[in-house]
Amino acid sequence: MASEKLLLRNVGRENSHTLDVYTANGGYQALKKALSGMTPEAVLEEVKASGLRGRGGAGFPTGMKWSFLPKMGDKPRYLCVNADESEPGTFKDRLLIERDPHLVLEGIILSSFAIHCHTAFFYIRGEFQKGARIFEQAIAEAYAKGLLGKNILGSGYDLDVLVYRGAGAYICGEETALLESLEGKRGLPRIKPPFPAIVGLYGCPTIINNVETLANVPFIVERGAAWYGGIGRPKNTGPKLFCISGHVKRPGVYEAPLGIPFKELLNEHAGGMLHPDRPLKAAVPGGSSMKVLPAARCDVLLDFDSLAAAGTMLGSAGGMVMDSGTCMVGALLNLAEFYEHESCGQCTPCREGTGWFTKILHRLEAGQGRREDPDLLIDVAKRVEGNTICPFGEAIAWPVQSYVAEFKSEFDDHVTKGACPFGAARKG
Amino acid sequence: MPEPTPPAPPAPLKPGPTPTAVAPPIELPAAGPDEVALLVDERPVVVKKGTTVLQAAERLGIAVPHYCYHPGLTVAGNCRMCFVEIEKMPKLQIGCATQATQGMVVRTANPRVKSARESIMEFLLINHPLDCPICDQAGECRLQQYANAYGRGRSRFVEEKIHHDKGVPIGPRVVFDGERCIKCTRCIRFCDEVSKTHELGLFERGGHAIIGTFPGKSLDNAYSGNTVDICPVGALTWRPFRFQARVWFLRNVPSVCTGCARGCNVELAVYDHRIHRITPRRNAAVNGYWMCDLGRQTYERLDDRPRLERPVATGSVVPAPEAVDRAAALLRETATRHGAASVAAMVSARLTLEDLFMARQALKQAGISRVVVPPHESGEDDALLLRRDKTPNARGAELVGFGRPDAVATARLAGDIAAGHVRGLVIVGEDPVGDGLFKADVLSELDALVVIDAWQTETAKAAHVALPATGPYEADGVVVNFQGHAQRLRRGVPAPALAEPSWRWLRELGRRFGLAGSWNTASAVFDQAAAELKPLASLSWRGLGGDGHPIVDTEP
Repeated sequence: MASEKLLLRNVGRENSHTLDVYTANGGYQALKKALSGMTPEAVLEEVKASGLRGRGGAGFPTGMKWSFLPKMGDKPRYLCVNADESEPGTFKDRLLIERDPHLVLEGIILSSFAIHCHTAFFYIRGEFQKGARIFEQAIAEAYAKGLLGKNILGSGYDLDVLVYRGAGAYICGEETALLESLEGKRGLPRIKPPFPAIVGLYGCPTIINNVETLANVPFIVERGAAWYGGIGRPKNTGPKLFCISGHVKRPGVYEAPLGIPFKELLNEHAGGMLHPDRPLKAAVPGGSSMKVLPAARCDVLLDFDSLAAAGTMLGSAGGMVMDSGTCMVGALLNLAEFYEHESCGQCTPCREGTGWFTKILHRLEAGQGRREDPDLLIDVAKRVEGNTICPFGEAIAWPVQSYVAEFKSEFDDHVTKGACPFGAARKG
Repeated sequence: MPEPTPPAPPAPLKPGPTPTAVAPPIELPAAGPDEVALLVDERPVVVKKGTTVLQAAERLGIAVPHYCYHPGLTVAGNCRMCFVEIEKMPKLQIGCATQATQGMVVRTANPRVKSARESIMEFLLINHPLDCPICDQAGECRLQQYANAYGRGRSRFVEEKIHHDKGVPIGPRVVFDGERCIKCTRCIRFCDEVSKTHELGLFERGGHAIIGTFPGKSLDNAYSGNTVDICPVGALTWRPFRFQARVWFLRNVPSVCTGCARGCNVELAVYDHRIHRITPRRNAAVNGYWMCDLGRQTYERLDDRPRLERPVATGSVVPAPEAVDRAAALLRETATRHGAASVAAMVSARLTLEDLFMARQALKQAGISRVVVPPHESGEDDALLLRRDKTPNARGAELVGFGRPDAVATARLAGDIAAGHVRGLVIVGEDPVGDGLFKADVLSELDALVVIDAWQTETAKAAHVALPATGPYEADGVVVNFQGHAQRLRRGVPAPALAEPSWRWLRELGRRFGLAGSWNTASAVFDQAAAELKPLASLSWRGLGGDGHPIVDTEP
């Protein structure tokens, strides 16, 4: 851990969630800098130049996303913070919200300033009750200190931040479902185009950014794009929070520059495999909805482009590690059940396909598989992929395709043995 | 879940198709400033900006299969059946939600598109009960329709299907089958956007998602039947039609609803000489795609009272000529004895233009100048279709010179009858006794009461001469709706053997008083009316076609 901790610099401190601790450790300096001497356009340019890419999953350049906003018109612009962190194996935003809410808030204020937004919504996963309370406290502190509300720090810039709690649906992390939910409707993804930057919340131009993405902005503003661009790898700049869970000694959230080798994260940060006699079998470096990598292909760098080249994605960096005792059919069934439960039911391929996966996998795991089932799984997954309204379809179609393709013999074994070779460690 | 990638800045599209090695480039026609030109399946088409790819294809007669899209509703894009391939777009696009742009190259039927549609069909059918043999939708079901082209023919799904409640009375007139439902949300959108009654929602998630009513609500709005019409499958069924007839035996007769002054264009579904249901027929000028629930049940009027089946004169069934002779004689005697002003007539705004026109001719010939048209009003005009005026042809009555339905004139006539000033009366298509306008004992004082009606009404029972007329949907004719839109009613079912359209009885009656003219068909009567009545001058029976035509120079 040679590099300086940025995103997690405060989380270990006592009362790290308070404004006092945050400011005592250099907090809100970026905001002062921006509001006293920078134009919104200059902030936007700085973020663009930093190469910051969205930390929510797709890795889209944040500055470019902001620049898709149409010219200022009669309609207000909104910033929606996506704090609906729900991806299995991903728990990085939660840490920031609970332990360093003011870092997130400073990022929100700076970003709102950059895009001429005067009302920002903080859409937080309903289960994050503690996080929501802490964040509301942080907002109250900020209002009291003139960091929010009218005329922030005497700059003439106004901003209100509202916390909205979700009602417990994974799909509301999809940005247009989030908007629907925020508008008080059932959380169903919208058809795109139009994209939210043009027609977003209440029909107004809207930017939706992930919590961690926004937490990077204060550093970019304070220390400059050039400095920020020096962290990580080309086109994959900046610090990143990596979640790691599964069969490791120390599951948790670790900060490292983008591009850290997976094995380094596993062995040095997470303390290596949990059981010394059970070696690595497979890993999903990006999160549950990404493609799985077998152990032999796990020597990868953890950044957007390296993982894309390896045939998977960085996603939300919710790494999951599976050891040799893992039944891949059972692991996939576990995932499939999650996605079946969370499919919103709006469009045909996802609504029908997710349940079909689960049913086939249940049979396989119970030893009632047919010879054609592994191929059927892949075929059905291909018919879901690319045919849905939102990326939820891929979020299950990719795992299904990769688990079956990478561990085909294990799926076949379930059929030929008529039972789970792992003793059905997991019974449906 | 992977986040969606925001749009890249749109690449400027070069107008014109990309030339390929084999096929020569197809020249795109010039597009106006508000138009775009595109290619659909190698065929050029010019459409207005904002037109969707699906609509552009329809313009060329290329049907893009779809379930959730409905031209009268907002786009939901959830069924994914209308996938098309568009050059320069890596994924297939849904035709219903993709706007046509200049130079777009669309393919609606290549193997990739076909394969995607096969996928959607398979997904839709895995949890579908496939209970076609007992499903009322069978024969007009989009699942069946598209299964021909895109069905696998054999299911790869061997598991237990998801179960939902069946036969749910989701409203007083609509029954819901949760297992047949494909969650296209047309019904929800109808209740949100058209009836604006907001009873329906989608509940639960994933494969367990199900349409339902919000707590304390029932699908009980004046337009609930439309949800059944637009349901592309057998999930919503119309209670009066359930298990009544297989749709392939139905003969659909294009006609016009007679339930109110709107005159919604309809199809009469006829089987075995009975109307089994009435569904709306699209007419942008009149009713769009919709009709009300009351209108759907108007055919029930035909059988809700005993029919007047034979000509009756003073209590005895007599041959038709004799009955008309008797009627004419009674009217003539009364006029002779008490003066021409002692004979009056009441005609109905429910009659066709031909009936009313012939009534005018005949009554004039008979020297009867006092004619009243009683109103039939209930409720209020609503924001969608329903009119307070429950007659289909009040404008027609006005056109032929009887004036608008008039409660005061009707009451005055009742008074004059009671006072003995009116001694003879011709009533066509009205039942003033049954409707409470006249007392039966008042009518019994008359010297001549001639009634032409379809039913054995209280009024008909009191008549000296009662002549059996055709009822609604039993005869051809024209009605003029409240907007002044003249439309053709088409006969859907046969009338009782001796029943005649009222205009024929009136023609016969007129002849007894010397009326000349030999009109033998409704069309001949209409064309005569068009020749004589200025607002109809530009119209002809044939020219009315299926959609009707606005009359001229008649401001409501």
